[in-house]
Parts: sequence; C-alpha cells; structure tokens
Amino acid sequence: MDGATLPARLRTLNRVSRIVVRDLTKSYGDLPVLEPLDLDIETGTFVSIIGPSGCGKTTLVRVLAGLEPASAGVVTLDGHPPAAARAAKRVAMVPQQPGLLPWRTVEANARLLLDVRKGTNPSDANDPVALLHEVGLGNFLHAHPHELSGGMQQRVALVRALALHAPLLVMDEPFAALDEITRAEMRGLLTRLVDGRGATVLFVTHSIAEAVALSDRVLVMSGRPAGVVADLAIDIPRPRRDDVEDDPRFVALCAEVRHALHSNGGRR
Amino acid sequence: MIRRVLAPAVGIVTVLLLWEAVVRLGEVRPFVLRAPSRIVGHLWDFRGDYTAAAWVTIQHAVVGAAIGLLVALVLGAVMAASTFVEQAAGPVLTLLQVTPFVAYIASVVLWLGSGTAPALFVVALVCVPGFAFATTDGMRGADPDTRELLASVDAHWWEVLWRLRLPSALPSIFTAMRYNVGLALIAAYLVEGGNYANEGLGAIGMRAAAFGGNGADALWAAIFAMSVLGTSWLVAISIARHLLLGWHVSQRGRTPRVRRP
Repeated sequence: MDGATLPARLRTLNRVSRIVVRDLTKSYGDLPVLEPLDLDIETGTFVSIIGPSGCGKTTLVRVLAGLEPASAGVVTLDGHPPAAARAAKRVAMVPQQPGLLPWRTVEANARLLLDVRKGTNPSDANDPVALLHEVGLGNFLHAHPHELSGGMQQRVALVRALALHAPLLVMDEPFAALDEITRAEMRGLLTRLVDGRGATVLFVTHSIAEAVALSDRVLVMSGRPAGVVADLAIDIPRPRRDDVEDDPRFVALCAEVRHALHSNGGRR
Repeated sequence: MIRRVLAPAVGIVTVLLLWEAVVRLGEVRPFVLRAPSRIVGHLWDFRGDYTAAAWVTIQHAVVGAAIGLLVALVLGAVMAASTFVEQAAGPVLTLLQVTPFVAYIASVVLWLGSGTAPALFVVALVCVPGFAFATTDGMRGADPDTRELLASVDAHWWEVLWRLRLPSALPSIFTAMRYNVGLALIAAYLVEGGNYANEGLGAIGMRAAAFGGNGADALWAAIFAMSVLGTSWLVAISIARHLLLGWHVSQRGRTPRVRRP
C-alpha cells in the first residue's frame, strides 16, 4: 500500500466493510480494462453498477467474485481473498442467461449449486423447494426448462443462487434478455426476495430505472478503461413498493444517474 | 404411434415383394440374388447354427463398440480440455478413420491370434474416431454460462465433467453411434471371416462366398441375418436415445410445450 492511498484507507478503517477494494487494476495484455479503483461496500447493501457497453462492468464483478485475478491491487470479501470466498461457496451468481441444465427438472436445477461440492454447503442453506414456491413456481417443480417462459427460467436461476444463502450475490444483467413487462415483474420479485436477507448484492445493469428502483447505491462507470465516475446513494425508503417509479424522488435520481452517465460515459 | 411402426413395415415388405418378383419372373443367377422366401426358408432350416453365429457376431460388435466408446470418452474429454492434445490426436484419429480397415485385418489376426481378441480390437479401433470427435464437440459445446456458474462455486473438474460436459455431449455421441453400428458390424463380420476360429456370421458368409454358386444359400442367409442384427441394434439405440434425451430439442415434437401458470 503506497502513500497515495493511505488517507482513503484511514477513512474506512473503523467501518465494517464487507467488500474492500484498493488500487484494483485489470488489463488484458496491453489493454487496460479497469483503472485504479478503490471501493468500500458495506454488508447488506444493494449496489448497482451501470455504464456503457463493454466498459468493464462484467470484468469488475468477475474480479470481485474471484472468477478472474486482478492485475494489481487488493480485493477482500469479509477480510478474505475472493478466490477463498468462492471456494467457501460464499458467492452466488446469477448469469445473464439463466444457464439452466435442460436435462434437469426445475427442482434439480434450483439445487444445482448445492449438489456441487456438497461438503462445503452452509448449514443454513435455503430450501430450494420453498423458494420455488415463493417465486410462484410451486407447480413446476418437475417441469423441464424448455417448458418454461424466459421469465420463469430466470426465476429458477434466481432461486438457484439464493438457495446457497451466500452473503454475496452477484448478478450480471440478469434481466437483460427479458421483455419490459417481465422485467418489471422480476424487479419487484427481486426486491421482495433480497429485502431483509442481509446479503450484499452486486447488480450489473444497462437500465437506469432498474438500477435506481432496486439499489441502495449506484456506481456509474466510465468507458474503458473503466473507473467509477459517480457514486450515488439512493435514498428512497424501503420496503419499496411496485409503484416506486411514480415517486418524484425516483424520477430525480434517474435524471442524476443519466446525467452522470452521459457527461462521463463516453470518456476514453 | 401405429403409423410410426406401420410406415417402415410397409416400406420393407414392398421391397421384399419386389425382390421376390424380380427373382421369380426374371432369370437371376442364385449367387447374384436369392429370393427372400428361399433365404428365410434356409435360415429356418438351420436356425440353430445361425442363432449361435449371430450371437457371436453381436457380442463382437457390441462389446467391441462399447470398448471403443469408453476409450473415446476418455480421449474425447482430454481433447476437449486441451487444445494441444486435440491437435496432436486429431490427425491420428482422422488417419484411422480413412484407412480401410479391411487392409490390416490379416495383420491384426496374425498379431492377436484367432477368435474374439482380434474381432474386439478391430471393432473398437474403427469406432474410436467417430466417438472421440463427437465427445469433444459435444463437451466443447457445453453452455458457457453454466460453466461460469459451476466455476463460481469452485466445482471440481470431475463434477463439471459429470454434471455438465458429459450430458452435453450425449446428443452428438448418439449420432456417432448410429454410424458406428454399421462400421462395428462390418468390422466384426470381416474379422470373423478372416480368421480360423470359424465362429460368427462372418465366418459363414465369407466362406460361403468363396464357394460361388454352391454357397449362395449360406451367403444370403448371413447377409439377411446381419441386416436383422443391424436393424435391431439401431432400434435399441433409438429407444435408449428417446429415454435418455427426452430433454433434447431433437426429441421434442414440432410444437413447443410451454406451460403457463
């Protein structure tokens, strides 16, 4: 840790921070993807990451989830390196495509992450069947993925991640492939599912409305190499109702995010 | 369901009737073509011999193909995991695939002796390339999102293999199996005919062929029996495919069955 980052470090010293990022950079060969990045995310925060296409949002969350090594800098999750957190099944992912196994039933798909490396399962894992009932798929336990609509498939993917009861939930544009009506439904569902479970959520998205409606905090990223150009607190009280989008505060915050995105987003 | 059984049956019976008519009405030399009625009659008269021979042949072909499949699964999985191994093994497998195995059967018999060993060896060998390429392609095609998902919980390589890659490769392995049925039976037939054990349909058919006109009954009976074996095997594969791959697009009807809540 060099002198330049010391003040930032002192500032956060007495705060309990689940995700701590210091001087993180990532490049692929000569191509820098993330410029030096410092970040503190507290436990239980819903953080959306928004930015132009291909700016490195996915790379950032992949590094935080321990799926890719950082080129330089330090990332810790609850004091542990990301790879250790991943090995302890403390990171649950929801990919952009549901990624369901076509030969497994809905119930078996929801159980997939629990079936892998069973010995590492947390003792307080959630019951996938109960969760499937909760998301309205109680009648589809024995159906196969091809019998479900896109929104229903993504709900299974959500349950599959939540079943792990991991303290960190990483979602990479999970609703991007869905139609607008289904997206709105999924937004409400996700809010209900995540509220009160205490998990930290990293949510990558292209949609300003989605980011504001769901999050406690929105990180706006610039074009490659990506840095955080705005860090906005979303002070809309929880629990949030489905009509949150009619709230004047919501509209104002969306404008703020849009402004940050457009004034810095095109930077190279 | 009835139509699915009836249509092929109508096709086969029509061909058999035409065949019978051609042999009876035209003057065809017996070695060139035997009437189906006469072939079936001969098979029935010597049913004990032909059943015993068919049992030997089906064992050679099925066990040999199973050995080939096991070898190919291991090889294919390694090829899918390592581009270097794929590039090293690919040309060798292609060479194996395009070399006419008839040419080296005699050498294999000299090496492994008569009987079951050379038959199993050649059958396994000719089945390996098709199965290995199918395994590699299928495993490579496993859904990248699901691979990432399994990586996110640090799944062991054998869990990824068993839970994701192998099931992903099943459809292409089944396709390869349909081609390998023919290859395996031909290889078994030729090796049986080319050694001194005097067992199997190949031994009957190839010795009969050497007798010219006098062997016509036995030759055509062996051909008939071989085609029955091949057909039964393909039917068994279709059933297995239907049971194992019910989830796969190829096994579904044309209309999607989307259930709504």
